[in-house]
Amino acid sequence: MARGEIRLIGLTKRFAEVTAVDHIDLDIAPGEFFSLLGPSGCGKTTTLRMIAGFEQPSEGRIILDGTDVAYTPPHKRNVNTVFQNYALFPHLDVFDNVAFGLRRAKRPKNEVKERALQALALVQLGGLESRKPSQLSGGQQQRVALARALVLNPSVLLLDEPLGALDAKLRKTLQIELKTLQREVGITFIYVTHDQEEALTMSDRLAVMNGGQVEQIGAPQDVYEDPETLFVADFLGVSNLMDATAQGAHDGRCRVRADTFELAAGSGAIDVTGPAKIVIRPERIELESREAASGPNRLPGMVERLVYVGAAVQVIVRVATGDALQVLVPNTGKSLPYQQGTPVQVHLPVEALRVLVADEAGEAGPAKDAALAEASGRD
Amino acid sequence: MSSVADASVAPRASAWGRFRRWLANPWGRPRFLPLLTWGYVAWSIVPVLIAVQFSFNATRSRTNWEGFSTRWYWGDPVDSVWHDPTLRNALVQSLKLAVADVVIATPIGVLLAIGLARWHGRGSGTSNFLMLFPLVTPEIVMGVSLLLVFTEVFTFIGTGTTAQILGHVTFSISYVVVIVRGRLFSIGRQFEEAAADLGASPTAALTRVLLPLLMPAIVASAAVVFAISIDDFVISQWLSSGGETDTVPVKIYSATRAAPLPSTNAIASIMMVLTLASITLGFLVWRAFTRGERRAGQSVVKDMGALEI
Repeated sequence: MARGEIRLIGLTKRFAEVTAVDHIDLDIAPGEFFSLLGPSGCGKTTTLRMIAGFEQPSEGRIILDGTDVAYTPPHKRNVNTVFQNYALFPHLDVFDNVAFGLRRAKRPKNEVKERALQALALVQLGGLESRKPSQLSGGQQQRVALARALVLNPSVLLLDEPLGALDAKLRKTLQIELKTLQREVGITFIYVTHDQEEALTMSDRLAVMNGGQVEQIGAPQDVYEDPETLFVADFLGVSNLMDATAQGAHDGRCRVRADTFELAAGSGAIDVTGPAKIVIRPERIELESREAASGPNRLPGMVERLVYVGAAVQVIVRVATGDALQVLVPNTGKSLPYQQGTPVQVHLPVEALRVLVADEAGEAGPAKDAALAEASGRD
Repeated sequence: MSSVADASVAPRASAWGRFRRWLANPWGRPRFLPLLTWGYVAWSIVPVLIAVQFSFNATRSRTNWEGFSTRWYWGDPVDSVWHDPTLRNALVQSLKLAVADVVIATPIGVLLAIGLARWHGRGSGTSNFLMLFPLVTPEIVMGVSLLLVFTEVFTFIGTGTTAQILGHVTFSISYVVVIVRGRLFSIGRQFEEAAADLGASPTAALTRVLLPLLMPAIVASAAVVFAISIDDFVISQWLSSGGETDTVPVKIYSATRAAPLPSTNAIASIMMVLTLASITLGFLVWRAFTRGERRAGQSVVKDMGALEI
């Protein structure tokens, strides 16, 4: 039996003044690691709290394994939450924290003990049963919170920025652990985060949210490589955005004019005409010297600044259109032949250049879903 | 050799110059602050210590020290606190009121605080604000009002112990509410949500999570209620039905106006010790319960200050 399938239908939450979540539709498959990604205030946490039952939707339905649970109180839902600050009960020790849910479910004593110890072993905390939460490090507290939620074997596990309070190195380790754990237990995870890297590395699929609405849903690669809206392109990773005028499709590409330069964009909304934005990832731009090859999709420019970021060098190039483009050059150990003021030319490969409608308003959810199906069919 | 050493020493400023620099440096160690603080502490404690001292006086004088004795506590067969029935009675009456007050006001106050903190409906803001009223209402006004209520409206109560207990409970509840509500706000809703999330019914969430977390505040407020009840004069006096129901402060007041003996000092000292003990107990219990919650370097005093008393 498929457990942990969750469907949100027209889910809406209005607070006194603002609409935090605005008619969102999501289908999350059993056993999926699904992320809700967006800036603060985009409605991702409110969505999660509605699924958990802490907020009542103003409208819409939450279908969990075939039953509408939108108005079921939280203690009667088969979902569990890992809270942002863990919310471990400070007056109980680690074991009692993990056993809390089992005891509320009136499980027999020996089963409580067995399952709680198992859950603690699962998160590698065996032997710490009698510690108080305050005697644990942040990472350990996070694991206790995870064990406490997983021990009840929920259909869906909700995680509200669970790694937010940890330092960068620990986050990386726990990201991998969390993903492995999720595969192991096979429970549906809904993961809320504002950290795009976290969402990209862990999720099977993710939804990018903005202003209470879902901007795009898809696998990390699809969302990163084929952002459908300017917001997604801008929010996920670094994107170079340039104003341009689209002149319609031609040979499966879009001819665009940026300032006085003619360029061809190979992906995105290639059949639009009129004002548009062209987008390219910094790692996809190729930096060439002025004397090198000439050809289409090249813009002359001048190096404005070099920023050493460790694994790569960020080169800011002011191109002839007036835009400053960020170019990411991998650090291979050789010093770059560029410095501030070096005249260069940038090559924007046709397949890497993406054209997006300048005004993203008015894009309806279903249309996007159709586009998504198309996008995933293409891979 | 000596000339090198001399050269390395900066020319010394004159004593007056150094004094002026010391006086004018706003980032240096505080200079008058400790003086003022200790001055205030002395000003407020010394009279009390002198009063306590004379409770141990060997003679009937309350002004001339004539040797140490415990006669005014239990030694004197007539006038000691132990043997004078009016003083002993007052002590018993005070304790009776304080204990009854703690037992009645604390649970009601805790439940009210939970209700007020968790209810977000029409009128909740007003109610939260009105809770502070008993704290700022002049006690004399409350005393008169309560006397009218008990003698004119609910005449079956009248004056006496019952009326005094009801009076004390009336103003004590506010203290409990304010202390417990502060704790409720500082612990937030997340633990209740976590409990509900883990399958706890609202009742289980209350008894298994919320009340244990509120325990320090409950104990602290019980201690405060005990202390202010023992300390109360105005309400106890207004609602007293005569000598039988006079409390310690009332007794001290009347004794001091008539013919004061060191036994008055003795009973006042006993009262002070009781108050201090209850507050200390509350403080220690609070510290024990919240040991794990304090971040390093945060003192208990600061933590209790966060109660918004």
